[in-house]
Amino acid sequence: MKRNMAMLLSTVLLGLSLTACSNDNSANNVKAPSNENADTGTPALTGDDLAFSKFPKPVDVHIGMVVDPTDKTLPEGDSVGNNPYTRYLKDKYNINVIVDWTAATGNDFKQKVSLTIASGKLPDGMVVDDRSFMTKAASSGLLYDITDIFNQYQSTQVKDIMASTEGRALENASYKGKMVALPNITVDTDGVHVLWIRKDWLDKLKLPVPKTVSDIEKTAKAFIDNKLGRDKTIGIAGPSKNSFPYSTFLVSSNNMGGFDPIFGAMDAYPGYWLDNGDGTVSYGTTSDNTKKTLALLADWYKKGLIDPEVGTRDNVGDPINANQTGIFFGPWWNGGYGNGDSFKNDPTANWQAYPVYTDDNKWNSHMKTTGSTYTVISKNAKPDVVKAIMIMNNALVRDEATFDLSVNVGWYPLRNVMAAANETEYEYTELMKVLKGETKPEDYNKPNSLYKLMYADAKKVKDVVKPPYDELNVGNFSTANFGDFQRLYSLLIGDRPFSTTPIDKKVFSVTYNQTATMETKWANLKKMEDETVMKIILGQAPIDSFDKFVKDWKSQGGDEITAEVAELLKK
Amino acid sequence: MRKLGHQKHYYLMLLPGMVWLVMFSIVPMFGILMAFQNYNPGAGLFKSEWVGLENFKYMFQLNDSKTVIVNTFIIAIGKIVFNLIVPLVFAILLNELRSLRYKKLVQTFVYLPHFLSWVIMSTIVIGIFGYYGVVNTVIGMFGFDPKLFMADAGIFRQLIIGSDVWKEFGYNAIIYLAALTGVNMNLYEAAAIDGANRWQLIRHVTLPALTTTVVLLGVLSLGNVLNAGFDQVYNLYNPLVYSTGDILDTWVYRLGLQNLQFSLATAAGLFKSVISFVLIFISYRLAYRYADYTVF
Repeated sequence: MKRNMAMLLSTVLLGLSLTACSNDNSANNVKAPSNENADTGTPALTGDDLAFSKFPKPVDVHIGMVVDPTDKTLPEGDSVGNNPYTRYLKDKYNINVIVDWTAATGNDFKQKVSLTIASGKLPDGMVVDDRSFMTKAASSGLLYDITDIFNQYQSTQVKDIMASTEGRALENASYKGKMVALPNITVDTDGVHVLWIRKDWLDKLKLPVPKTVSDIEKTAKAFIDNKLGRDKTIGIAGPSKNSFPYSTFLVSSNNMGGFDPIFGAMDAYPGYWLDNGDGTVSYGTTSDNTKKTLALLADWYKKGLIDPEVGTRDNVGDPINANQTGIFFGPWWNGGYGNGDSFKNDPTANWQAYPVYTDDNKWNSHMKTTGSTYTVISKNAKPDVVKAIMIMNNALVRDEATFDLSVNVGWYPLRNVMAAANETEYEYTELMKVLKGETKPEDYNKPNSLYKLMYADAKKVKDVVKPPYDELNVGNFSTANFGDFQRLYSLLIGDRPFSTTPIDKKVFSVTYNQTATMETKWANLKKMEDETVMKIILGQAPIDSFDKFVKDWKSQGGDEITAEVAELLKK
Repeated sequence: MRKLGHQKHYYLMLLPGMVWLVMFSIVPMFGILMAFQNYNPGAGLFKSEWVGLENFKYMFQLNDSKTVIVNTFIIAIGKIVFNLIVPLVFAILLNELRSLRYKKLVQTFVYLPHFLSWVIMSTIVIGIFGYYGVVNTVIGMFGFDPKLFMADAGIFRQLIIGSDVWKEFGYNAIIYLAALTGVNMNLYEAAAIDGANRWQLIRHVTLPALTTTVVLLGVLSLGNVLNAGFDQVYNLYNPLVYSTGDILDTWVYRLGLQNLQFSLATAAGLFKSVISFVLIFISYRLAYRYADYTVF
């Protein structure tokens, strides 16, 4: 009965949406009158004309929004609901953005989203940062099935970007075969964690760039012995009280300060569901290689090579920005975007990024899912509102590069980044060509390109980066425009390993989503895992406690969940 | 009826308080239903599937539930005991001071932490007990290795109880100081004439005069046996100290708001409320019997 009602409802909504379309377009069908077909209700405009069409009457879009309380870029007199970005949407598309509520980034926002879902009263649109929010809302029947409207209204650019993931993004944003959210699509390199090291410190000690785990151990020891970060030199920075020692299948990217490359170099992939190749799966944390890596990390901690305050700090970036440490691990943007203050505190901080290799010279890396934030739309939203949200997304993708970024683009309502999965590698390669004079910035002046920021970056790269170009160091970069410096530093230094060195073993998780049993049992298992792993690293529990953990983990639901994940593999 | 009309303005003054009570305490009570459902936000409170005591059964199957209940009891009882004793000792000591100005000064200073929220206080506590904090600097002077206190499950409860008492003892002493001003000065004079020294004055005059207050406060705080202080623990804990520091409230928070298990979280919350209610009831009866205290 309930299902019938839902069917009926969606049919009615679909009908409404079609009539609404034809209404909209009757006003500006001048552009493409030949396309109109009144009988079937096909809209007059198609393709990008439709994707960027202006509503004849203002459309109100109610949103819930995350705000960064420390951001000071909003001009005097502007507000979250009235700023250059909302005025842009009003002028160009007749979209009125109304902000129903705001919450600060991090836990505050998560809490607000969680309560909003619990109350069943969603704003028209909001961007949630955890897939379980999307699935919870979708399974409760709170979300709009946007499959049709999205197909109709997506711009060519959005379509290309979606296609660049080979269907993974669509699957990520779907629940039971229906598209229920606009997924963000982030670059693959966000999930590739590398070694960040102070090259200037290495040079000072005449040391080579470390390649393997044992090289890193020696280097960290040398940094500490020579007090390069003054009295309180920290060998290797580590996770804070809110971050994790490694990224997991649920949070598979951007783990600043984790030990991911160390695990990779030991051929261990904790937190990932691994395909054993024989139709079975196993959970990476429970493997012997993970145990070996934990023993190694515990040994490092005992020797004082890892930050003594690991796991209890408020902020991962603190010792890095204070230049107390010369080694940490993280993805491409961690140097540049991620540690701006380090350069401000010491302009000679020559952070460089390298892969960490196994003893037999292989680079192993786990890989991320396509994205982990979702624009969800309330099932009660009017079809026009849903279309408006599609247009807002199209406009962001097309025009982000042209915005005046002196007002943080985070103020763009419902901003949910869509980038081609290989955007950073493309930019790295092409920007190097521009630097070496092989191409000119004007060569990239292609409107609606898949690589939307390329032209803007190509125009400014020579202002920021000075020759010689064979080996880029911090000295090559001008910090005059600090935002540009951070972006180009991350691109040209941070993404160099992934752009230029092939990964020998790429490890994907069998699933990046929760299974049915996980919804009730994962919280408990995850807590057990976090506790065991951190205690072993800090030497509060012996390495043998790992075996007990594996046993408990399996008996308290782990085996059951493993079987569920194995089912997924069969499909 | 005429009498009521006479008192109309009093009832009018009551109104805002009543509205507040209904809005924030009575209406949300319906949310308790969630504990007996497999709550579906889309279907709402009255159309979600009923599952009886399923959530409670599951809750007690989780290993966590035992840990958090034990932690909650230990931390809360520790706080109750020390928050009775320390302010009492402090109030008596303060009362013995001769210099009024100094007394006021001390009182003002020890009040101060009470007015800061745990969000701020936690930063201070972590600063003091951090790896490079004051405590480690001092023990470093004696040649000991620094210790990561915040990650040590063995001392986390002591840290929680200690820092709570430190924050609150000044404020909690007020009620004792008030009781002390009510002690008849003649008793002190009479005792002094009988040859009592200062210690004996405290022992035989001050303390007996305070007994009722101590008993009353102790009994009334029984209702808090399951309130171990969410703000404080939430701001100070980390996964390394879950085994001794995770309490019912933080557990409910993680279940409900971070893992979206609304029904399970409500069941845990309801469990806590029911036990607290029984304890409040008992404490009220005890307070009536031993301290002649009544509200109604």
